[in-house]
Amino acid sequence: MNGVIEASNLTKRYETVTALDRISFEVRQGEIMGFLGPNGAGKTTTLRILTGLLAPTEGSVRIDGLDVETHSLEIRQRIGYLPENVSLYPELRVQEYLAYRAKLKGVARSKRRERVFEVMDRCAVSDVRRQLIGRLSRGYRQRVALADCLIGRPSILILDEPTVGLDPHQIRQTRELIKSLGHTTTILLSTHVLPEVEMACHRVTIINKGAIVTVDSPDNLRRRLTGRQVVHVELQGDPSAVEEALKQLAGVARVSRKGELDGFTTFEVEGQAGCDVREAIFQLAVSRRWTLRQLAQVQASLEDVFIHLTTHEKE
Amino acid sequence: MRNLIALTSREWKAFWYSPVAYGVGAFFLLMQGWVFWLLVAVLNDPRVDPPWRMSQFFFGGTFFYWLSVLMIAPLLTMRCFSEEKRTGTIEVLLTAPVTNWQVVLAKFFGAWLSYGALWATTAIFFGMLRWLTPLDLGPILSGYLGTWLLGGVLIAVGVLASSMTRNQVIAAVMSFVLILLLFSIGFLDVFVTDPESSKIVQYLSLLDHFRDFSKGIVDSRPIVFYCSVMAIVLFLTVRTLASPRWRA
Repeated sequence: MNGVIEASNLTKRYETVTALDRISFEVRQGEIMGFLGPNGAGKTTTLRILTGLLAPTEGSVRIDGLDVETHSLEIRQRIGYLPENVSLYPELRVQEYLAYRAKLKGVARSKRRERVFEVMDRCAVSDVRRQLIGRLSRGYRQRVALADCLIGRPSILILDEPTVGLDPHQIRQTRELIKSLGHTTTILLSTHVLPEVEMACHRVTIINKGAIVTVDSPDNLRRRLTGRQVVHVELQGDPSAVEEALKQLAGVARVSRKGELDGFTTFEVEGQAGCDVREAIFQLAVSRRWTLRQLAQVQASLEDVFIHLTTHEKE
Repeated sequence: MRNLIALTSREWKAFWYSPVAYGVGAFFLLMQGWVFWLLVAVLNDPRVDPPWRMSQFFFGGTFFYWLSVLMIAPLLTMRCFSEEKRTGTIEVLLTAPVTNWQVVLAKFFGAWLSYGALWATTAIFFGMLRWLTPLDLGPILSGYLGTWLLGGVLIAVGVLASSMTRNQVIAAVMSFVLILLLFSIGFLDVFVTDPESSKIVQYLSLLDHFRDFSKGIVDSRPIVFYCSVMAIVLFLTVRTLASPRWRA
């Protein structure tokens, strides 16, 4: 294992609930790892353990080879953590707050001002630098918190749902920012928003009910579900005859009737692994003189993968 | 050390930014103003030849003195950790590269300095008296020292209470109760007949240690006593902060 973050057998039990059940994973140098799961899956608990806020019931975390429990201070020096519910001191002004945080994170006095302006610029909060944090909109506050994460130039970023509460434009900006940081920084990012993972992450860990379901790249995940081709066919003809004929085609694994509209019937045809059945379906329709209105391959989205994995594969 | 200074100055500022500071300040000045008025009235009355020193009257001689000392500490410290826990800023604070000791000491010093600042305003009373009449400043200074040290103990207790809950009101009530308990240890003396145990009870009494200060006697024993109680209580606060049960 050469991961920057190595978690092994993390278990967190509360009196009655087991929030995490022996999860292990690693995040490699310079990688953006997505931590994906429905609400209550244990994402935040895991991240809190990584930052040393919570102690695991069992298991251990090593960051840069150091144990979180024994080297907490050194590790906190290297981590920028964005908590789930961003909260900042409302009575401070943005620039004042960031200067204070820079001081706490050990930024040298001579560099502090420059660094504060640099992160305000990167996180697009320069225009509100003199405003009280308590008066800022949620999106701004989120970005001030992100600026705080970056101010100590951490080598690791742990971001708990970084785009919650932002508008679409800001979401895109934040994702761009995260992506641009990804070259130099190791990032662990939790989210329940799938596009985020698709757009920014190199690898995804899917977690559900306190256990890891799978770890893979977004592309591979999509391929796993699209390994079998699914085609939607809409044509005119006697439904049961059509269904029978489709089933007889070479390479077809499964056919199901989906619905009927103005005399056309829609079928969902699933091909066997590695087979493209679209051509055969077209030839069939021509030879039987059935009017074909639609022949479409269904693209499985990560969303499907996610739903599939978190509902079926677990059992 | 740099962290401690940064954190303490943040605590100090946060206190003066909050409206609580001005409510507490007004309450405090009202109490002390009244005590001063009483003092001047007594000193002006030719029929009274007080057997006590002026400093004994001002520092601990009245009900209002004790009321302000005992009430102020919970009010000054109730927001320390509770507020940060309630809003969630504690998470940001504790993931910064600072130790628990630094955090606890900063909360403590911030409140202790604010307490000192409140008392410092009463110096104006003695300034006025000194302008009108010669004054022995020694006992007054030792009275201030005693008040500040006693306040330190009570503030440490308040910080401890605040670290246990996310609700400021509960924190204030809890620290007030703890302070009263700590304070009344000395009163147990009434029930103790064994002279050895009586000595122990007296030693543990916050009140008895204070008496010397108001007479103008600065002894190292009460200073050591107060400082060790503060250290013990702050140690408990650090433990509380570190224990997962009370976290987040």
